Amino acid sequence: MALLTISHLTQFFGGLRAISDFNIELEHGEIVGLIGPNGAGKTTVFNVLTGIYVPTKGTIVFDGQNIVGKKTHQITQAGIARTFQTIRLFSKSSVIDNIKIAYHSRIPYGDADAFLHTHKYWQGEQFLDDYAIDLLRLFHLEQHADDISGSLPYGAQRRLEIARALATKPKLLILDEPAAGMNPAEADELMETIRWLRDKFDLTILLVEHQMRVVMGVCERIKVMDFGETICEGLPEHVRNDPRVCEAYLGKGA
Amino acid sequence: MTFIRTHRTVATVAAFVLVYVIIKTFSILPLAEGKPLINGYYLQLIALIGINIVMTVSLGMVNGFTGQFSIGHAGFMAVGAYTSAMITTVWLHVSVANPWVGYPVFILAILVGGLMAAGAGYLVGAPSLRLKGDYLAIVTLCANELIRTVIRVTEVLNGPRGLGGIPKFTNLEVIFVFTIVSVVLMRNYVFSSHGRSMKAIRDSEIAAEAMGINTTRQKVFVFAFSAFFAGVSGGVFAHLLQYIHPDNFSFVKSLEYLIYLYVGGSESISGAIIGPAIFTLLPELMRGLKDWRMVIYPLILILTMIFRTEGIMGLKEFSFILIPQRKRKEANT
Repeated sequence: MALLTISHLTQFFGGLRAISDFNIELEHGEIVGLIGPNGAGKTTVFNVLTGIYVPTKGTIVFDGQNIVGKKTHQITQAGIARTFQTIRLFSKSSVIDNIKIAYHSRIPYGDADAFLHTHKYWQGEQFLDDYAIDLLRLFHLEQHADDISGSLPYGAQRRLEIARALATKPKLLILDEPAAGMNPAEADELMETIRWLRDKFDLTILLVEHQMRVVMGVCERIKVMDFGETICEGLPEHVRNDPRVCEAYLGKGA
Repeated sequence: MTFIRTHRTVATVAAFVLVYVIIKTFSILPLAEGKPLINGYYLQLIALIGINIVMTVSLGMVNGFTGQFSIGHAGFMAVGAYTSAMITTVWLHVSVANPWVGYPVFILAILVGGLMAAGAGYLVGAPSLRLKGDYLAIVTLCANELIRTVIRVTEVLNGPRGLGGIPKFTNLEVIFVFTIVSVVLMRNYVFSSHGRSMKAIRDSEIAAEAMGINTTRQKVFVFAFSAFFAGVSGGVFAHLLQYIHPDNFSFVKSLEYLIYLYVGGSESISGAIIGPAIFTLLPELMRGLKDWRMVIYPLILILTMIFRTEGIMGLKEFSFILIPQRKRKEANT
Protein backbone atom coordinates (compact mmCIF):
# COMPACT_ATOMS: atom_id res chain seq x y z
CA MET A 1 0.00 0.00 0.00
CA ALA A 2 1.17 3.49 -0.76
CA LEU A 3 2.59 5.53 2.11
CA LEU A 4 0.72 8.66 1.10
CA THR A 5 -2.38 8.85 -1.03
CA ILE A 6 -3.90 12.20 -1.87
CA SER A 7 -7.06 11.91 -3.88
CA HIS A 8 -9.32 14.52 -5.46
CA LEU A 9 -7.82 17.30 -3.41
CA THR A 10 -9.45 20.64 -4.12
CA GLN A 11 -8.82 23.90 -2.33
CA PHE A 12 -10.76 27.09 -2.79
CA PHE A 13 -9.82 30.47 -1.37
CA GLY A 14 -13.09 32.34 -1.75
CA GLY A 15 -13.73 32.17 -5.49
CA LEU A 16 -10.15 31.26 -6.36
CA ARG A 17 -9.44 27.61 -7.04
CA ALA A 18 -5.87 27.11 -5.85
CA ILE A 19 -5.82 23.36 -6.39
CA SER A 20 -8.28 21.33 -8.40
CA ASP A 21 -8.59 17.59 -8.29
CA PHE A 22 -5.04 16.88 -7.26
CA ASN A 23 -4.02 13.22 -6.97
CA ILE A 24 -0.73 11.69 -5.95
CA GLU A 25 0.50 8.41 -4.55
CA LEU A 26 3.87 8.08 -2.89
CA GLU A 27 5.32 4.61 -2.48
CA HIS A 28 7.64 3.87 0.39
CA GLY A 29 11.23 4.87 -0.42
CA GLU A 30 10.48 7.05 -3.43
CA ILE A 31 11.91 10.47 -4.19
CA VAL A 32 9.24 12.48 -5.94
CA GLY A 33 9.46 16.03 -7.23
CA LEU A 34 6.63 18.53 -7.34
CA ILE A 35 7.32 21.41 -9.69
CA GLY A 36 5.50 24.16 -11.47
CA PRO A 37 5.81 27.87 -12.18
CA ASN A 38 5.07 30.46 -9.50
CA GLY A 39 1.44 30.40 -8.42
CA ALA A 40 0.91 26.83 -9.64
CA GLY A 41 -0.36 25.67 -6.27
CA LYS A 42 2.69 23.79 -4.98
CA THR A 43 2.82 25.68 -1.73
CA THR A 44 -0.91 25.19 -1.22
CA VAL A 45 -0.52 21.42 -1.59
CA PHE A 46 2.26 21.71 0.91
CA ASN A 47 0.20 23.69 3.39
CA VAL A 48 -2.76 21.35 3.10
CA LEU A 49 -0.51 18.37 3.61
CA THR A 50 1.02 19.87 6.77
CA GLY A 51 -2.33 20.85 8.25
CA ILE A 52 -2.11 24.62 7.82
CA TYR A 53 -5.24 24.62 5.60
CA VAL A 54 -8.18 22.26 5.73
CA PRO A 55 -8.96 21.30 2.12
CA THR A 56 -12.32 22.11 0.57
CA LYS A 57 -12.61 18.60 -0.84
CA GLY A 58 -10.59 15.42 -1.04
CA THR A 59 -8.82 12.96 1.21
CA ILE A 60 -5.27 12.55 2.38
CA VAL A 61 -4.39 9.13 3.71
CA PHE A 62 -0.98 8.80 5.28
CA ASP A 63 0.27 5.48 6.55
CA GLY A 64 -3.27 4.13 6.74
CA GLN A 65 -4.81 7.07 8.59
CA ASN A 66 -6.79 10.01 7.31
CA ILE A 67 -4.98 13.22 8.22
CA VAL A 68 -7.45 15.76 6.86
CA GLY A 69 -8.47 18.15 9.63
CA LYS A 70 -5.59 17.21 11.92
CA LYS A 71 -3.42 19.91 13.44
CA THR A 72 0.10 20.52 12.22
CA HIS A 73 1.77 19.03 15.27
CA GLN A 74 -0.41 15.92 15.07
CA ILE A 75 0.56 15.42 11.45
CA THR A 76 4.21 15.80 12.38
CA GLN A 77 3.78 13.24 15.14
CA ALA A 78 2.12 10.91 12.63
CA GLY A 79 5.35 10.98 10.62
CA ILE A 80 5.44 13.86 8.13
CA ALA A 81 8.30 16.28 8.67
CA ARG A 82 9.19 19.32 6.65
CA THR A 83 11.86 21.92 6.11
CA PHE A 84 11.16 25.53 5.25
CA GLN A 85 11.86 27.48 2.12
CA THR A 86 13.18 30.39 4.17
CA ILE A 87 15.15 28.94 7.04
CA ARG A 88 13.15 28.89 10.25
CA LEU A 89 15.54 27.64 12.87
CA PHE A 90 15.06 28.39 16.55
CA SER A 91 17.70 31.00 16.03
CA LYS A 92 18.30 32.01 19.65
CA SER A 93 18.66 28.40 20.81
CA SER A 94 21.84 26.39 20.50
CA VAL A 95 22.34 23.97 17.62
CA ILE A 96 21.86 20.92 19.82
CA ASP A 97 18.73 22.42 21.41
CA ASN A 98 17.19 22.74 17.93
CA ILE A 99 17.47 18.98 17.61
CA LYS A 100 16.18 18.37 21.12
CA ILE A 101 13.15 20.59 20.52
CA ALA A 102 12.15 18.46 17.54
CA TYR A 103 12.31 15.40 19.80
CA HIS A 104 9.96 16.99 22.35
CA SER A 105 6.79 15.13 21.38
CA ARG A 106 8.47 11.82 22.24
CA ILE A 107 10.23 12.92 25.44
CA PRO A 108 9.67 10.26 28.12
CA TYR A 109 8.87 12.63 30.99
CA GLY A 110 6.01 14.99 31.79
CA ASP A 111 5.45 18.47 33.21
CA ALA A 112 5.82 17.33 36.81
CA ASP A 113 9.21 15.72 36.09
CA ALA A 114 10.26 18.96 34.41
CA PHE A 115 9.42 20.99 37.53
CA LEU A 116 11.05 18.59 39.97
CA HIS A 117 13.97 17.31 37.88
CA THR A 118 13.23 13.75 38.89
CA HIS A 119 15.33 10.73 38.06
CA LYS A 120 13.18 10.26 34.96
CA TYR A 121 14.15 13.76 33.83
CA TRP A 122 17.88 13.12 34.16
CA GLN A 123 17.60 9.81 32.36
CA GLY A 124 15.57 11.36 29.57
CA GLU A 125 17.93 14.30 29.17
CA GLN A 126 21.00 12.10 29.14
CA PHE A 127 19.54 9.84 26.49
CA LEU A 128 18.42 12.85 24.45
CA ASP A 129 21.84 14.48 24.63
CA ASP A 130 23.47 11.33 23.24
CA TYR A 131 20.80 11.00 20.57
CA ALA A 132 21.13 14.64 19.49
CA ILE A 133 24.91 14.61 19.31
CA ASP A 134 24.86 11.41 17.24
CA LEU A 135 22.42 12.99 14.81
CA LEU A 136 24.52 16.17 14.59
CA ARG A 137 27.58 14.06 13.89
CA LEU A 138 25.89 12.57 10.82
CA PHE A 139 25.50 16.10 9.50
CA HIS A 140 29.00 17.20 10.52
CA LEU A 141 27.60 19.74 12.96
CA GLU A 142 28.82 18.24 16.24
CA GLN A 143 31.61 20.80 16.67
CA HIS A 144 28.94 23.54 16.60
CA ALA A 145 26.63 21.77 19.07
CA ASP A 146 26.69 24.54 21.67
CA ASP A 147 26.81 27.50 19.29
CA ILE A 148 23.73 29.66 18.81
CA SER A 149 22.08 28.32 15.67
CA GLY A 150 21.46 31.77 14.20
CA SER A 151 25.21 32.34 14.04
CA LEU A 152 25.95 29.35 11.76
CA PRO A 153 26.88 29.87 8.10
CA TYR A 154 24.04 29.44 5.59
CA GLY A 155 24.96 25.96 4.41
CA ALA A 156 25.24 24.66 7.96
CA GLN A 157 21.84 26.17 8.82
CA ARG A 158 20.32 24.30 5.88
CA ARG A 159 21.88 21.05 7.10
CA LEU A 160 20.66 21.72 10.62
CA GLU A 161 17.13 22.24 9.34
CA ILE A 162 17.16 18.81 7.73
CA ALA A 163 18.70 17.24 10.83
CA ARG A 164 16.05 18.88 12.98
CA ALA A 165 13.25 17.55 10.76
CA LEU A 166 14.74 14.07 11.12
CA ALA A 167 14.66 14.30 14.90
CA THR A 168 10.87 14.07 14.69
CA LYS A 169 11.41 10.51 13.31
CA PRO A 170 9.48 11.03 10.05
CA LYS A 171 8.48 8.47 7.47
CA LEU A 172 7.89 11.15 4.89
CA LEU A 173 10.18 14.15 4.54
CA ILE A 174 9.01 17.16 2.57
CA LEU A 175 11.74 19.50 1.41
CA ASP A 176 10.53 22.97 0.43
CA GLU A 177 13.02 24.42 -2.06
CA PRO A 178 16.13 23.09 -0.34
CA ALA A 179 18.37 24.35 -3.13
CA ALA A 180 17.23 27.96 -2.83
CA GLY A 181 20.24 30.23 -2.80
CA MET A 182 22.74 27.44 -3.55
CA ASN A 183 25.43 27.53 -6.23
CA PRO A 184 25.79 24.52 -8.63
CA ALA A 185 28.48 22.85 -6.52
CA GLU A 186 26.35 23.07 -3.38
CA ALA A 187 23.33 21.83 -5.34
CA ASP A 188 25.30 18.75 -6.44
CA GLU A 189 26.18 18.08 -2.84
CA LEU A 190 22.53 18.51 -1.90
CA MET A 191 21.47 15.86 -4.42
CA GLU A 192 23.93 13.45 -2.86
CA THR A 193 22.55 14.31 0.58
CA ILE A 194 18.96 13.70 -0.50
CA ARG A 195 19.77 10.21 -1.82
CA TRP A 196 21.82 9.48 1.28
CA LEU A 197 18.96 10.61 3.52
CA ARG A 198 16.51 8.29 1.82
CA ASP A 199 18.81 5.28 2.22
CA LYS A 200 20.14 6.05 5.67
CA PHE A 201 16.84 6.96 7.33
CA ASP A 202 14.57 4.78 5.22
CA LEU A 203 12.56 7.79 4.09
CA THR A 204 10.17 8.76 1.38
CA ILE A 205 10.95 12.22 0.09
CA LEU A 206 8.74 14.79 -1.56
CA LEU A 207 10.72 17.61 -3.07
CA VAL A 208 9.33 20.98 -4.04
CA GLU A 209 11.99 22.79 -6.02
CA HIS A 210 12.64 25.43 -8.63
CA GLN A 211 16.13 24.43 -9.71
CA MET A 212 15.53 22.01 -12.57
CA ARG A 213 19.07 20.64 -12.23
CA VAL A 214 18.27 19.31 -8.79
CA VAL A 215 14.80 18.08 -9.64
CA MET A 216 15.91 16.27 -12.78
CA GLY A 217 19.01 14.93 -11.08
CA VAL A 218 17.49 13.39 -7.99
CA CYS A 219 13.79 12.68 -8.49
CA GLU A 220 12.54 9.35 -9.69
CA ARG A 221 9.14 10.73 -10.56
CA ILE A 222 8.02 14.28 -11.21
CA LYS A 223 4.65 15.92 -11.05
CA VAL A 224 4.15 19.24 -12.79
CA MET A 225 1.43 21.67 -11.73
CA ASP A 226 0.11 24.81 -13.34
CA PHE A 227 -2.84 26.91 -12.20
CA GLY A 228 -3.78 24.30 -9.63
CA GLU A 229 -3.98 21.47 -12.11
CA THR A 230 -1.65 18.60 -12.81
CA ILE A 231 -0.40 19.06 -16.36
CA CYS A 232 2.13 16.27 -16.55
CA GLU A 233 3.68 13.50 -14.54
CA GLY A 234 6.18 10.75 -15.02
CA LEU A 235 9.89 10.11 -15.35
CA PRO A 236 12.27 13.08 -15.60
CA GLU A 237 12.99 12.50 -19.30
CA HIS A 238 9.32 12.33 -20.08
CA VAL A 239 8.58 15.54 -18.21
CA ARG A 240 11.51 17.36 -19.77
CA ASN A 241 10.18 16.70 -23.28
CA ASP A 242 6.54 17.39 -22.58
CA PRO A 243 5.30 20.35 -24.66
CA ARG A 244 2.79 21.40 -21.99
CA VAL A 245 5.53 21.73 -19.42
CA CYS A 246 7.61 23.90 -21.71
CA GLU A 247 4.55 26.01 -22.38
CA ALA A 248 3.80 26.44 -18.70
CA TYR A 249 7.31 27.62 -17.96
CA LEU A 250 8.17 29.55 -21.08
CA GLY A 251 4.87 30.45 -22.69
CA LYS A 252 3.46 29.50 -26.10
CA GLY A 253 5.73 29.51 -29.10
CA ALA A 254 8.92 29.37 -27.10
CA MET B 1 28.32 13.55 37.37
CA THR B 2 25.88 12.87 40.15
CA PHE B 3 28.45 14.26 42.54
CA ILE B 4 28.80 17.55 40.69
CA ARG B 5 25.06 17.84 40.44
CA THR B 6 24.36 17.35 44.14
CA HIS B 7 27.49 19.34 44.98
CA ARG B 8 26.23 22.35 43.05
CA THR B 9 22.77 22.14 44.57
CA VAL B 10 24.23 21.91 48.08
CA ALA B 11 26.45 24.93 47.38
CA THR B 12 23.49 26.95 46.12
CA VAL B 13 21.31 26.08 49.08
CA ALA B 14 24.23 26.78 51.44
CA ALA B 15 24.69 30.23 49.89
CA PHE B 16 21.03 31.04 50.44
CA VAL B 17 21.10 29.75 54.01
CA LEU B 18 24.15 31.91 54.65
CA VAL B 19 22.38 35.00 53.36
CA TYR B 20 19.42 34.13 55.55
CA VAL B 21 21.60 33.64 58.65
CA ILE B 22 23.34 36.98 58.09
CA ILE B 23 20.07 38.86 57.70
CA LYS B 24 18.55 37.07 60.68
CA THR B 25 21.59 37.79 62.86
CA PHE B 26 21.62 41.48 62.06
CA SER B 27 17.90 41.68 62.62
CA ILE B 28 18.36 40.36 66.19
CA LEU B 29 21.74 41.64 67.44
CA PRO B 30 21.32 45.05 69.07
CA LEU B 31 24.20 46.79 67.27
CA ALA B 32 22.70 50.20 66.51
CA GLU B 33 22.22 51.94 69.87
CA GLY B 34 20.50 48.97 71.43
CA LYS B 35 18.43 48.23 68.31
CA PRO B 36 19.16 45.75 65.52
CA LEU B 37 20.75 47.09 62.32
CA ILE B 38 18.08 45.49 60.17
CA ASN B 39 14.83 46.82 61.57
CA GLY B 40 11.24 46.04 60.68
CA TYR B 41 11.32 48.48 57.79
CA TYR B 42 14.22 46.71 56.14
CA LEU B 43 12.70 43.30 56.83
CA GLN B 44 9.55 44.45 55.07
CA LEU B 45 11.66 45.62 52.17
CA ILE B 46 13.44 42.27 51.97
CA ALA B 47 10.09 40.48 52.00
CA LEU B 48 8.84 42.70 49.16
CA ILE B 49 11.96 41.90 47.18
CA GLY B 50 11.26 38.18 47.57
CA ILE B 51 7.65 38.61 46.42
CA ASN B 52 8.70 40.83 43.52
CA ILE B 53 11.32 38.28 42.46
CA VAL B 54 8.76 35.47 42.25
CA MET B 55 6.29 37.74 40.44
CA THR B 56 8.95 38.81 37.94
CA VAL B 57 10.37 35.34 37.35
CA SER B 58 6.87 33.97 36.76
CA LEU B 59 6.07 36.85 34.40
CA GLY B 60 9.31 36.04 32.61
CA MET B 61 8.03 32.53 31.90
CA VAL B 62 5.30 34.04 29.69
CA ASN B 63 6.87 37.25 28.38
CA GLY B 64 10.52 36.32 28.22
CA PHE B 65 10.79 32.61 27.55
CA THR B 66 7.57 31.95 25.63
CA GLY B 67 7.51 35.34 23.93
CA GLN B 68 3.84 36.11 24.65
CA PHE B 69 3.26 39.68 25.75
CA SER B 70 1.08 39.65 28.87
CA ILE B 71 0.54 42.80 30.92
CA GLY B 72 -2.06 41.60 33.41
CA HIS B 73 0.08 39.74 35.91
CA ALA B 74 -1.15 41.72 38.94
CA GLY B 75 -4.68 40.47 38.26
CA PHE B 76 -3.63 36.91 39.06
CA MET B 77 -1.79 38.18 42.12
CA ALA B 78 -5.09 39.71 43.26
CA VAL B 79 -6.93 36.40 42.82
CA GLY B 80 -4.35 34.64 45.00
CA ALA B 81 -4.23 37.42 47.57
CA TYR B 82 -8.00 37.61 48.03
CA THR B 83 -8.54 33.84 48.01
CA SER B 84 -5.91 33.16 50.66
CA ALA B 85 -6.90 36.14 52.79
CA MET B 86 -10.54 35.09 52.73
CA ILE B 87 -9.59 31.57 53.86
CA THR B 88 -7.32 32.59 56.74
CA THR B 89 -9.12 35.72 57.87
CA VAL B 90 -12.81 35.51 57.10
CA TRP B 91 -13.64 31.82 56.94
CA LEU B 92 -11.22 30.10 59.30
CA HIS B 93 -10.18 32.98 61.60
CA VAL B 94 -6.69 31.60 62.20
CA SER B 95 -4.13 33.79 63.93
CA VAL B 96 -0.37 33.98 64.42
CA ALA B 97 -0.92 33.32 68.13
CA ASN B 98 -1.51 29.67 67.37
CA PRO B 99 1.20 28.81 64.83
CA TRP B 100 0.60 25.03 64.84
CA VAL B 101 -2.83 25.54 63.37
CA GLY B 102 -2.10 28.86 61.72
CA TYR B 103 0.81 27.94 59.48
CA PRO B 104 -0.65 24.77 57.92
CA VAL B 105 -3.82 26.72 57.16
CA PHE B 106 -1.77 29.61 55.80
CA ILE B 107 0.28 27.33 53.53
CA LEU B 108 -2.85 25.58 52.33
CA ALA B 109 -4.54 28.95 51.79
CA ILE B 110 -1.76 30.38 49.61
CA LEU B 111 -1.67 27.16 47.57
CA VAL B 112 -5.44 27.31 47.06
CA GLY B 113 -4.94 30.97 46.12
CA GLY B 114 -2.34 29.86 43.59
CA LEU B 115 -4.68 27.25 42.13
CA MET B 116 -7.50 29.77 41.82
CA ALA B 117 -5.11 32.13 40.05
CA ALA B 118 -4.02 29.28 37.76
CA GLY B 119 -7.69 28.67 36.99
CA ALA B 120 -8.13 32.34 36.18
CA GLY B 121 -4.97 32.16 34.08
CA TYR B 122 -6.40 29.22 32.18
CA LEU B 123 -9.69 31.04 31.57
CA VAL B 124 -7.86 34.11 30.27
CA GLY B 125 -5.17 32.20 28.41
CA ALA B 126 -7.11 29.46 26.64
CA PRO B 127 -9.14 31.74 24.38
CA SER B 128 -6.69 34.62 24.08
CA LEU B 129 -3.31 32.98 23.50
CA ARG B 130 -4.07 32.58 19.82
CA LEU B 131 -3.69 36.34 19.67
CA LYS B 132 -0.25 37.81 19.28
CA GLY B 133 1.70 40.85 20.38
CA ASP B 134 -0.36 43.98 20.96
CA TYR B 135 -3.66 42.12 20.83
CA LEU B 136 -2.72 39.68 23.57
CA ALA B 137 -1.38 42.60 25.60
CA ILE B 138 -4.74 44.35 25.41
CA VAL B 139 -6.70 41.23 26.36
CA THR B 140 -4.50 40.55 29.40
CA LEU B 141 -4.68 44.20 30.39
CA CYS B 142 -8.47 44.03 30.25
CA ALA B 143 -8.46 40.78 32.23
CA ASN B 144 -6.38 42.51 34.91
CA GLU B 145 -8.80 45.42 35.16
CA LEU B 146 -11.78 43.07 35.00
CA ILE B 147 -10.53 41.11 38.00
CA ARG B 148 -9.84 44.31 39.92
CA THR B 149 -13.27 45.73 39.15
CA VAL B 150 -15.06 42.52 40.05
CA ILE B 151 -13.32 42.56 43.44
CA ARG B 152 -14.29 46.21 43.90
CA VAL B 153 -17.99 45.47 43.48
CA THR B 154 -18.10 42.17 45.37
CA GLU B 155 -19.54 42.78 48.83
CA VAL B 156 -18.24 39.48 50.27
CA LEU B 157 -14.69 40.60 49.54
CA ASN B 158 -15.38 43.93 51.27
CA GLY B 159 -15.44 45.69 47.89
CA PRO B 160 -13.80 49.10 47.67
CA ARG B 161 -13.11 49.23 51.42
CA GLY B 162 -10.40 46.60 51.08
CA LEU B 163 -9.79 43.56 53.21
CA GLY B 164 -8.05 44.17 56.54
CA GLY B 165 -7.05 42.36 59.70
CA ILE B 166 -5.14 39.66 57.83
CA PRO B 167 -2.80 37.78 60.22
CA LYS B 168 0.87 38.44 59.55
CA PHE B 169 2.05 34.96 58.67
CA THR B 170 4.73 36.16 56.26
CA ASN B 171 8.05 36.39 58.05
CA LEU B 172 11.65 36.13 56.92
CA GLU B 173 11.61 32.32 56.90
CA VAL B 174 8.42 32.14 54.84
CA ILE B 175 9.88 34.60 52.34
CA PHE B 176 13.11 32.64 51.95
CA VAL B 177 11.46 29.27 51.51
CA PHE B 178 8.77 30.67 49.21
CA THR B 179 11.23 32.55 47.01
CA ILE B 180 13.77 29.76 46.70
CA VAL B 181 11.25 26.98 46.09
CA SER B 182 9.36 29.02 43.48
CA VAL B 183 12.48 30.11 41.62
CA VAL B 184 13.98 26.61 41.65
CA LEU B 185 10.75 25.04 40.32
CA MET B 186 10.51 27.55 37.49
CA ARG B 187 14.24 27.29 36.77
CA ASN B 188 13.86 23.51 36.49
CA TYR B 189 11.00 23.88 34.07
CA VAL B 190 12.95 26.23 31.83
CA PHE B 191 15.85 23.77 31.74
CA SER B 192 13.75 20.87 30.48
CA SER B 193 12.35 19.69 27.20
CA HIS B 194 9.22 21.69 27.97
CA GLY B 195 11.30 24.80 28.60
CA ARG B 196 13.05 24.31 25.29
CA SER B 197 9.71 24.16 23.52
CA MET B 198 8.74 27.44 25.22
CA LYS B 199 11.81 29.04 23.66
CA ALA B 200 11.00 27.37 20.34
CA ILE B 201 7.56 28.99 20.38
CA ARG B 202 9.23 32.32 21.08
CA ASP B 203 11.70 31.95 18.21
CA SER B 204 9.27 30.61 15.60
CA GLU B 205 5.83 29.38 16.43
CA ILE B 206 5.30 27.97 12.94
CA ALA B 207 8.48 25.93 13.09
CA ALA B 208 7.68 24.76 16.63
CA GLU B 209 4.28 23.48 15.51
CA ALA B 210 5.89 21.85 12.47
CA MET B 211 8.33 20.06 14.77
CA GLY B 212 5.45 18.34 16.53
CA ILE B 213 5.05 20.63 19.52
CA ASN B 214 1.47 21.27 20.62
CA THR B 215 2.07 24.99 20.86
CA THR B 216 -1.43 25.88 22.08
CA ARG B 217 -1.23 23.45 24.98
CA GLN B 218 2.29 24.59 25.88
CA LYS B 219 1.36 28.28 25.84
CA VAL B 220 -1.77 27.81 27.92
CA PHE B 221 0.06 25.61 30.42
CA VAL B 222 2.86 28.15 30.85
CA PHE B 223 0.30 30.93 31.24
CA ALA B 224 -1.57 28.96 33.90
CA PHE B 225 1.45 28.00 35.98
CA SER B 226 2.82 31.52 35.71
CA ALA B 227 -0.53 32.69 37.11
CA PHE B 228 -0.21 30.05 39.83
CA PHE B 229 3.06 31.53 41.09
CA ALA B 230 1.57 35.02 40.83
CA GLY B 231 -1.35 33.81 42.96
CA VAL B 232 0.94 32.34 45.59
CA SER B 233 2.93 35.59 45.62
CA GLY B 234 -0.34 37.42 46.12
CA GLY B 235 -1.11 35.24 49.14
CA VAL B 236 2.29 35.86 50.68
CA PHE B 237 1.90 39.58 49.91
CA ALA B 238 -1.51 39.76 51.62
CA HIS B 239 -0.14 38.11 54.76
CA LEU B 240 2.76 40.54 54.79
CA LEU B 241 0.88 43.84 54.45
CA GLN B 242 -2.14 42.55 56.41
CA TYR B 243 -4.41 44.79 54.38
CA ILE B 244 -5.24 44.47 50.70
CA HIS B 245 -7.19 46.77 48.47
CA PRO B 246 -8.32 46.07 44.88
CA ASP B 247 -6.36 49.10 43.69
CA ASN B 248 -3.15 47.46 44.92
CA PHE B 249 -3.53 45.16 41.92
CA SER B 250 -4.27 47.58 39.10
CA PHE B 251 -2.44 47.36 35.82
CA VAL B 252 0.04 49.94 37.15
CA LYS B 253 1.27 47.13 39.40
CA SER B 254 1.55 44.87 36.35
CA LEU B 255 3.62 47.53 34.62
CA GLU B 256 5.96 47.59 37.60
CA TYR B 257 6.70 43.90 37.07
CA LEU B 258 7.17 44.43 33.35
CA ILE B 259 9.74 47.11 34.16
CA TYR B 260 11.60 44.82 36.57
CA LEU B 261 11.58 42.06 33.99
CA TYR B 262 12.77 44.01 30.98
CA VAL B 263 15.38 45.98 32.92
CA GLY B 264 16.74 42.79 34.45
CA GLY B 265 16.68 40.82 31.23
CA SER B 266 13.51 39.12 30.09
CA GLU B 267 15.16 36.00 28.67
CA SER B 268 17.17 35.22 31.75
CA ILE B 269 16.03 33.93 35.13
CA SER B 270 18.96 35.73 36.73
CA GLY B 271 17.74 38.93 35.12
CA ALA B 272 14.27 38.39 36.55
CA ILE B 273 15.90 38.04 39.98
CA ILE B 274 18.31 40.95 39.82
CA GLY B 275 15.83 43.36 38.18
CA PRO B 276 13.28 43.42 41.02
CA ALA B 277 16.04 43.19 43.64
CA ILE B 278 17.75 46.37 42.42
CA PHE B 279 14.67 48.32 41.49
CA THR B 280 12.78 47.56 44.68
CA LEU B 281 15.73 48.78 46.74
CA LEU B 282 16.69 51.75 44.60
CA PRO B 283 13.71 54.04 45.31
CA GLU B 284 14.13 53.35 49.03
CA LEU B 285 17.86 54.05 48.97
CA MET B 286 17.17 57.32 47.17
CA ARG B 287 14.77 58.64 49.79
CA GLY B 288 17.40 61.25 50.72
CA LEU B 289 16.91 62.86 47.31
CA LYS B 290 13.34 63.84 48.29
CA ASP B 291 11.34 65.14 45.30
CA TRP B 292 14.13 64.42 42.86
CA ARG B 293 13.82 60.72 43.58
CA MET B 294 11.10 60.19 41.00
CA VAL B 295 13.15 62.06 38.43
CA ILE B 296 16.35 60.11 38.99
CA TYR B 297 14.65 56.70 39.16
CA PRO B 298 13.11 56.79 35.67
CA LEU B 299 16.32 58.32 34.34
CA ILE B 300 18.24 55.32 35.61
CA LEU B 301 15.65 53.07 33.95
CA ILE B 302 15.96 54.88 30.63
CA LEU B 303 19.75 54.81 30.70
CA THR B 304 19.75 51.09 31.52
CA MET B 305 17.48 50.37 28.59
CA ILE B 306 19.62 52.47 26.23
CA PHE B 307 22.91 50.89 27.20
CA ARG B 308 21.64 47.37 27.99
CA THR B 309 18.77 46.87 25.55
CA GLU B 310 18.45 43.19 26.40
CA GLY B 311 18.35 43.98 30.11
CA ILE B 312 21.10 43.94 32.70
CA MET B 313 21.74 40.21 32.34
CA GLY B 314 20.99 39.89 28.62
CA LEU B 315 20.85 36.16 27.89
CA LYS B 316 23.34 35.25 30.63
CA GLU B 317 22.60 33.36 33.82
CA PHE B 318 24.35 33.28 37.17
CA SER B 319 26.24 30.03 37.52
CA PHE B 320 24.05 28.91 40.42
CA ILE B 321 21.00 29.12 38.15
CA LEU B 322 22.46 26.93 35.44
CA ILE B 323 22.07 23.16 35.45
CA PRO B 324 25.49 21.50 35.48
CA GLN B 325 26.11 19.74 32.18
CA ARG B 326 27.84 16.42 31.98
CA LYS B 327 30.72 15.94 29.58
CA ARG B 328 29.55 14.60 26.25
CA LYS B 329 30.55 11.12 25.25
CA GLU B 330 33.24 10.78 22.61
CA ALA B 331 32.49 9.93 18.99
CA ASN B 332 31.18 6.43 18.44
CA THR B 333 31.26 6.02 14.69
